[in-house]
Amino acid sequence: MSVANRLSSGQFLAGVRAVAAREVGAAFDGAIAYVYVIAFVVLSNSIFMNDFFLSGRAEMRGYFELMPLLLAFFLPAVTMRLLAEERRQRTLEMLLTLPLVPLQVVLGKYAAALLLLLLFMAGSLPVVVMLCVLGDPDPGLIVSGYLGLFLLGAMFLAFGLFLSSLVQDQIVAFVTSTLLGFAFVLTGNDRVVAVLDGLWPAAGLGTLLYEGFSIAPHYQAFVGGVVSLPALLYFGLFSALFLWLCALVLQRHRA
Amino acid sequence: MIEVDHVSKHYGAVRAVDDVSCRLGAGEIVGFLGPNGAGKSTLLKMMCTWLPPTAGRITVDGHDTVREPLAVRRTLGYLTEHNALYDGMRVDRFLRFCGRTRGLSGSRLAERLDWAVQACTLQPVLGKRVHQCSKGFRQRIGVAAALLHDPKVILLDEPTHGLDPLQVVAFRDFIRGLRPGRAILFSSHILNEVVTISDRVLMMNNGMLLADVPVPELQQRAAERGTDVERVILDIVTAATPEPVAALAGAAR
Repeated sequence: MSVANRLSSGQFLAGVRAVAAREVGAAFDGAIAYVYVIAFVVLSNSIFMNDFFLSGRAEMRGYFELMPLLLAFFLPAVTMRLLAEERRQRTLEMLLTLPLVPLQVVLGKYAAALLLLLLFMAGSLPVVVMLCVLGDPDPGLIVSGYLGLFLLGAMFLAFGLFLSSLVQDQIVAFVTSTLLGFAFVLTGNDRVVAVLDGLWPAAGLGTLLYEGFSIAPHYQAFVGGVVSLPALLYFGLFSALFLWLCALVLQRHRA
Repeated sequence: MIEVDHVSKHYGAVRAVDDVSCRLGAGEIVGFLGPNGAGKSTLLKMMCTWLPPTAGRITVDGHDTVREPLAVRRTLGYLTEHNALYDGMRVDRFLRFCGRTRGLSGSRLAERLDWAVQACTLQPVLGKRVHQCSKGFRQRIGVAAALLHDPKVILLDEPTHGLDPLQVVAFRDFIRGLRPGRAILFSSHILNEVVTISDRVLMMNNGMLLADVPVPELQQRAAERGTDVERVILDIVTAATPEPVAALAGAAR
């Protein structure tokens, strides 16, 4: 490869930063990001508070257990426009004829979406403060729960971005991402596992999906305070796979 | 600066570009002429690395568009066919974004932004969002974004589309002012515009390059025959393929 065609790490990061800054600006320039964050924080905190007053325990387990289904709905709303809109408005040609490689575009957009995820999570910090004031929660459980939540959200964002790269219609991107998110979550539900196992007992489909596909065993480990390598690898590898596929789609889009 | 060597682009059985070869040197302004669907935009898209050729090879400033796409994209400024811009973005932020992705920062970015804004007279719309700008301003925003990094090679796909007559005249002077040291290729289906700005005219139709003629030669032929340059161009195209005459004649009017 010639020197002129090389991309140094500094240039790579500068490109990622430029794309991320544009995406963050686009999100917060209008009302979209504010509405998403406020809606998510109000909904998640109010559902948790109801559960908290009923259980009367100073812990965040209920909050973390609630999150996968909520994120499966809210995060596709963040990712649906990221690439589908570029395709629909034909700005993808402009973007990819700038001196950027597809991975820079993907990571820039992903970084902007992660920032929104962090804001979603930051909205629950008053809950942590409240628990500390009212009781004596286990800080280890809270930290590992937040780590699991972040990794789960990061994975949802990765496949949301990938699905957004495949279509021009944001609604299609939203619906497919939500369905895939629910599939990741619901294959960890005991009843769903039992039903799927019952359909074809010899294959044990429900158990197979629970162990090999579902987020449940990995996410539950974090919620239970266990930061395990398989769980880190599960979220990390799935996220990396979807981001790589997304970059591949953009690369192929040129042809 | 640009070398197109037996380049073709096929979509299944459709030959969008068929065995085209041409060259462009520094200091040259070349107009790409042809009716809609002639293959002009497809060839430009291959030059800017957006599309890979099915066959043949294109080099821009010595860099192969397939093997060294990043080097090519750093070298050139490209105005896309539809001039798609981020509609919701403020004009100044959009230009800054384009500059940053091209590796500009600090005082160099500020200096180039100032130049592009002055050159394309974008001062009245800098604080506006792109979708609030008129078609003429949108076109100038696209041109400013393409020229921000002072590229050696400039590809403009229908650059005067949407400009009013006064803006078209100003644009011609602007493009001529960019000539020293740069290769400029622009496409249009308006004969008069291409002849007025260019040193040389490439004529395309049905994916084929029909003629590559210097403008002075066209003017000389026109003078000898006592007709206008547009008629000479139409005759050249007619001699190569009879089909495009109607389309080009429409463009001439």
